[in-house]
Amino acid sequence: MSLPADAEAKVPAIPLARWADRQLAALARDHGLPRLHGAALLGERGAHGGYRVGGRISAGLGGSRLLPTRDGRWFALTLIRDVDRELLPALFQDEALAVFDHAAIAAAALRHDCADLLERGRMLGLPVASADEEPVSAPVEILERGDKRRRAAGHRPLVVDLSAIWAGPLAGHLLWQAGMEVVKVESLTRPDLIRRDDPATFDRINQGKASLLVDFASAEQKARLIGLIRSADVVIESSRPRALRHLCIDADALVREVPGLVWLTVTGHGARGEPANWVGIGNDCGVAGGLSRALAEVTGEIGYVGDAIADPLTGIVGAREVLRALQQGGAKRIGLSMSAIVAMALAEERAFDRAALDCELRSWGQAVGHPFPALAPRVPSAPVRPLGADTERYLAAALAC
Amino acid sequence: MKPGTRLKSAACDTEVMVIRAADGTIECGGAPMDEAKPADAAPLAADFSAGTLMGKRYVDADGKYELLCVKPGKGSLSVDGVALVVKDAKPLPASD
Repeated sequence: MSLPADAEAKVPAIPLARWADRQLAALARDHGLPRLHGAALLGERGAHGGYRVGGRISAGLGGSRLLPTRDGRWFALTLIRDVDRELLPALFQDEALAVFDHAAIAAAALRHDCADLLERGRMLGLPVASADEEPVSAPVEILERGDKRRRAAGHRPLVVDLSAIWAGPLAGHLLWQAGMEVVKVESLTRPDLIRRDDPATFDRINQGKASLLVDFASAEQKARLIGLIRSADVVIESSRPRALRHLCIDADALVREVPGLVWLTVTGHGARGEPANWVGIGNDCGVAGGLSRALAEVTGEIGYVGDAIADPLTGIVGAREVLRALQQGGAKRIGLSMSAIVAMALAEERAFDRAALDCELRSWGQAVGHPFPALAPRVPSAPVRPLGADTERYLAAALAC
Repeated sequence: MKPGTRLKSAACDTEVMVIRAADGTIECGGAPMDEAKPADAAPLAADFSAGTLMGKRYVDADGKYELLCVKPGKGSLSVDGVALVVKDAKPLPASD
């Protein structure tokens, strides 16, 4: 899509899009994916959704806000579920807090130190971050290993995608682009809500995937799903540990028992220990990864960079790690930390071309209020299966075990 | 009891964060909970030994109390001797 020169000057590239683009170029070169572009994967939701660069309020729905704290730091709080607002009196230790009033929430943040809010917020299971934290986990961790599996030439890997929203499904989408058979599994009681709330994004990243609807209350369906997983090459999942336990899915045991199974666990802040229980989503993980601080260092004003930027960056890294693991052949459980992936991308991009990155950050900071960079639409090239259309086909064939 | 207060069980490993509370006594395993752990553990009452689950929110019938389990244990939660129950799970967010 071409734009008049003056319009183009106002809409800067999303910082780190170039880093993403280098990863995608390598995926095309090494693994036969079509050549997708970093600017497209980082920006397509914002460009097609009419998002504007938001400053201290995240782009799009504006669910995440950067709030100054008593000790002069910045606390990011994402509030997209009303049930989370019920936790705000506990977060701010104020039972009279008007939990739907942005000004009251901002005033409450100013009465606390950032570190205390961060600790309490994480304990409460709220998606929170500090602009000055260091991610506690490695971006990519090998959590478990198992035996190798020899795959016949031309074998088409089967991917069971249990994840929701953006990062995990994007990883699945890239694996589909690499030619794999991808099965998206949704829960009868908790379907992936972006199917309903943002169908254009849903269709782009879930096109071509088979759709399974599983009743997790049914022991037989759960057993058949585990049977399907045992026959798969790849699993993608973004559940907290207790959610997996609740489904009776023991990822580590499956990786030990099923030769060659590559299991991708997508987390906000790490898959091991206490951080495995923390909640992190795209915008606050961008803050936790240091990107908002990087913006402030260059422009003097803090703000969100990109649109839920940790999500697309993590989806790309996830696909890359799965493709490498499949090439090596050994079973492996790979944990991804979204905040640490942002920090890694930022560090690598700084090392690659600090001046260009700082220039992009400066332009991004100056673009507050302007629309996201325009993109030619990436038209889905395969049908989007109706919810649950393939349940019978896959689960009836899977042996209950 | 102020929201955001962290309480520990005297009878087991359970720890909760207070989301909402009135003037009653919050108990775990049949013994009152406190911000500090007592030197001597209280016995675990058989009627309150169903256990707590990490990350679950526990409520009373009147909606006056809500506690979030931040560390699981063997005791179960009550207020003035009346057991609390697990609040319904919340759906995943659509987007941020």
